[in-house]
Amino acid sequence: MADTPQVPEVNAPSRPQPHEKYPWPAEPTLVGKRIQRVDGPIKVTGQAKYSYDINRPGGLHGRILRSPHPHARIVAIDLSAASKAPGVKAVMAVLQPGAKVMFQGEEVAALAAATEEQADDALRLIKVQYEVLPHIATEALALREGAPQVFKDGNIKAGDTEEAGDLEAGFKAAAHTVLAGYATQVQTHVSLETHGCVCEWDGDKLTSWVSTQAVHGTREQFAKALDIPQANVRVITEYMGGGFGSKFGPDAQGIICAKLAKQAGAAVKLLLDRKDEHLASGNRPSSASKIKAGVSADGMLTAFDAETWGTGGAGAGSGFPLPYIYVFPNRRRKHRDIFTNAGPQRAMRAPGHPQGCFHTEMLMDELADKLRMDPLAFRIKNLPPEAPNAMWRKYFPIAAERFGWSKRHVTGDPTPGPIKRGMGCAANRWGGGGQGTKAHCEINPDGSVVMRCGTQDLGVGTKTIVAIITAETLGIPMELVRAEIGDSNYPFSGGSGGSTTAPGVSPAIRVTSGMALDALKAKVAPGLGVDAATLVASNGRIHVKGDPSKGLAWRDACKQLGMEPLAVDGQWERGLSASGTSGVQFAEVEVDIETGVSKVTRVTCVQDCGLIVDQLTAESQCIGGIIGGVNYALFEDRILDRVTGHMVNPNMEWYRIAGPSDIPTIDITLMNQPERGVIGIGEPPTISTAAAVANAVANAIGARIRSIPITPEKVITALAEREKTGGTL
Amino acid sequence: MKAFAYVNAANQQEALAALSTATRGRRLPLAGGTDLLGLMKDYVAEPDVLVNVKNLPAGIAVPAQGLAVIGAAATLTDVADHAALAKTYPALTDAARGVGTPQIRNVGTVGGNLMQRPRCWYFRNEEFHCLKKGGARCFAVEGENQYHAIFGDGPCHIVHPSSLAPPLIAYNARIKVAGPQGEREIEAGTFFLMPDRNMFGETVLEPTELVTEVVIPTPRNVSAATYEVKFKQSHDWSIVTASVALRMSGGGGGVVESARVVLGAVAPVPWRSLPAEQMLKGKRVDEAVAWQAAEAALADARPMSGNGYKVQVAKTALRRAIMKATGAKVV
Repeated sequence: MADTPQVPEVNAPSRPQPHEKYPWPAEPTLVGKRIQRVDGPIKVTGQAKYSYDINRPGGLHGRILRSPHPHARIVAIDLSAASKAPGVKAVMAVLQPGAKVMFQGEEVAALAAATEEQADDALRLIKVQYEVLPHIATEALALREGAPQVFKDGNIKAGDTEEAGDLEAGFKAAAHTVLAGYATQVQTHVSLETHGCVCEWDGDKLTSWVSTQAVHGTREQFAKALDIPQANVRVITEYMGGGFGSKFGPDAQGIICAKLAKQAGAAVKLLLDRKDEHLASGNRPSSASKIKAGVSADGMLTAFDAETWGTGGAGAGSGFPLPYIYVFPNRRRKHRDIFTNAGPQRAMRAPGHPQGCFHTEMLMDELADKLRMDPLAFRIKNLPPEAPNAMWRKYFPIAAERFGWSKRHVTGDPTPGPIKRGMGCAANRWGGGGQGTKAHCEINPDGSVVMRCGTQDLGVGTKTIVAIITAETLGIPMELVRAEIGDSNYPFSGGSGGSTTAPGVSPAIRVTSGMALDALKAKVAPGLGVDAATLVASNGRIHVKGDPSKGLAWRDACKQLGMEPLAVDGQWERGLSASGTSGVQFAEVEVDIETGVSKVTRVTCVQDCGLIVDQLTAESQCIGGIIGGVNYALFEDRILDRVTGHMVNPNMEWYRIAGPSDIPTIDITLMNQPERGVIGIGEPPTISTAAAVANAVANAIGARIRSIPITPEKVITALAEREKTGGTL
Repeated sequence: MKAFAYVNAANQQEALAALSTATRGRRLPLAGGTDLLGLMKDYVAEPDVLVNVKNLPAGIAVPAQGLAVIGAAATLTDVADHAALAKTYPALTDAARGVGTPQIRNVGTVGGNLMQRPRCWYFRNEEFHCLKKGGARCFAVEGENQYHAIFGDGPCHIVHPSSLAPPLIAYNARIKVAGPQGEREIEAGTFFLMPDRNMFGETVLEPTELVTEVVIPTPRNVSAATYEVKFKQSHDWSIVTASVALRMSGGGGGVVESARVVLGAVAPVPWRSLPAEQMLKGKRVDEAVAWQAAEAALADARPMSGNGYKVQVAKTALRRAIMKATGAKVV
């Protein structure tokens, strides 16, 4: 079932109805194999042109002047000196006097100049007079009594209370309770390719090479913002360097770029620098909780009562699912969004889930410790019923076996010496369904094939799976297929978010190439003297099913097209993809208790994603997700100066990202579920890593660090605290 | 980046000539550029003229007798990979190996490593008009100071970022400097200046002068080691680093005749610890003595609001450096 509504905990699709006409092959030759990316060689040799690599004749460089203040009113903007600076061809105010800026990095003015350096220098000649207003840098400051009210409807927005069961009865039934609070930091996307685009006008037609997760959505937004027909906009994203949920439109910088290009009468390239990127292109909101939870003497969860909050920056939300996965029959949860004068949040790889997973999985280990029960057995006891999208009961033992969970010591590594080792685990779930994609297939008389689809490849391998499915369906080698994506002139496909791309695109490619094959069969059947319905394509031939000798080589079949290529249009259909994934991760860490430095040594991942289209790209998603999770657990942190509200680490020096030596050994087991069809895997593998790592750190050092990132400072402070109180967990 | 003129000096003489009219910040030498380029892109440094100093001496000589000489333009990779240096001065080559990434070590130079500016995030970000930029306050005091100094009492609370300086001071190296008045040699231990003596730079070097060579005495009966604590193992700055050189008494028996102990990333200059040196003197080094030395070294530490943990890290780094110098296996 492709579009079963996503019920949070248990979404049990009934046995899916496979597609009648073009079901996935029972014995595929390409699908599910370990296939290298079709664009790997040109990417690693630098030949692939990313938006940043597009240089148009006479092209200019755009730069944006951003507010240095986290909260201010614009009194005046003087563009005159900048407009006369060397090389400057266009200058504009983005905001007008009277307007307010709500965070450091908000766009104020912009210009385009002949070189990037000239643009940077000229930017500093734009004189902006600000009336600086009181600001709020952190959640704690926002919550403080007497804090300045900087947002129109207050600094705090209370959400609904989610309730189920009978909380009082739940706590009555509890033999143990845990009262604890957890917290996660603000994490920015840190896409290696920053946001931005190159815009070029031809009269009232705009072509834009954009680093985007949605070529069609970006086209729409350009048209709307610039008041031109969608037909006049073309968005191209042949290659892009990551978005993680932060790149669904032209954004302010795209619209500014188009306006500067119009004003200058020349193409303008405007890509953000790393500082802009950290400040203004989105982030994962912070989260914090106070939770009281109860468990019965036999290890069944009885009650969960949580107050949570977080900041998504200036006027943006911070919600996340809680409790996560495990069944608390009696529960209450209240959430508040706290607004701060910081760059607003955007969707980021599995929005909300890593936070919900962290709070819940930390709590689960604390409850297990109270019970003196193995945390894995405790988890399994409290899982929802098994279903195709809820396979943790099966996956936990598989992963535990591969990982060596049986060697886990109880909390606190008893080994002498400063290096303490520990193990932790956590589960994840995600939707990952998709639909609404169209495709166009041309079979040429020389046997070459073009498959066009207006999706985009974020770096995950979408182009490769388009080629795989086309070649599989037509029974030809992948070399004959040219997959063309990343252009809004191609047939519609949606934005690449929510792990929807593979389940949206794959069925469309399967159906469209199936239709093209049917059309070719109809062409060649009369010559073979058979009914087209008896023909199949395999191994580079079109032949009668069961009799490869009765047929034609692919190229000979295509020759029969004469002068005219065969062209068909198809689209996504039900029965080839589904929604709902589950997975588990185990982490092992080494903590040096004398320096506070934690290192993740191993991660074991068991994950499903329905039918695997390419084993390598699916594994690659897991690897990327886990590395991202290690970063979230240990390193990444948007640090705002508590006094001025300025980000002190808008770079990749103090905003830490794992390097090669910081990456653990990663063991991946993908659970193939071919009967379910294709499901996305972009998001789930990043959800559980931080929680598993944090639990492993607690298991190692015998003190629980209830917030991430787990810095040396926190480790040393927690150990010193334990020393003082003499307590354990 | 502000536009600048570039002087491609063919040798030391031309470089010095080009810098002879230099005033602070206006004319700057450029070697590997791994530090300076970033400062310029962030408009923290806005020189009018850059002078190429990659053609300064770049050789490394380690004679069996006498002084080792390292040219200022030698790269960190040259130092890290130099077999004879590694044999005689392991505390130095270990430190070089810990710098940045292979790419940075391939272009970053010895002179540049000594002359690099602090990594303090208030200094590096244009928004903060801090003491080092002529401003009125050190933002670290009230702000985010988890990586700032635990020694020195300000008024500026940077930590000195050089990886090579602690071992060079431990080995009692001298830094050779050339300028319009000719050459001079400065003890590495006095080359660096606290903020109260030089707020706008970190050393005694005049804007018209250049570091040309580092000269290191032959360590006789010296056991030395560097131990660096980093959070990330790839491409990160030290939380704390410690270099020690223990001169063992001639009589054998593992007794320390004298010691030099230097901590990095704890103060605005590489921080020599006389209390630790005193503690080690005359002792037979074991774990207990190393502990005592570490305690002595950090007894006077004055951490800020958010960097108290660095005291513990510094103790560990120093203890491990001492044990490593004795040949013990450390973590």
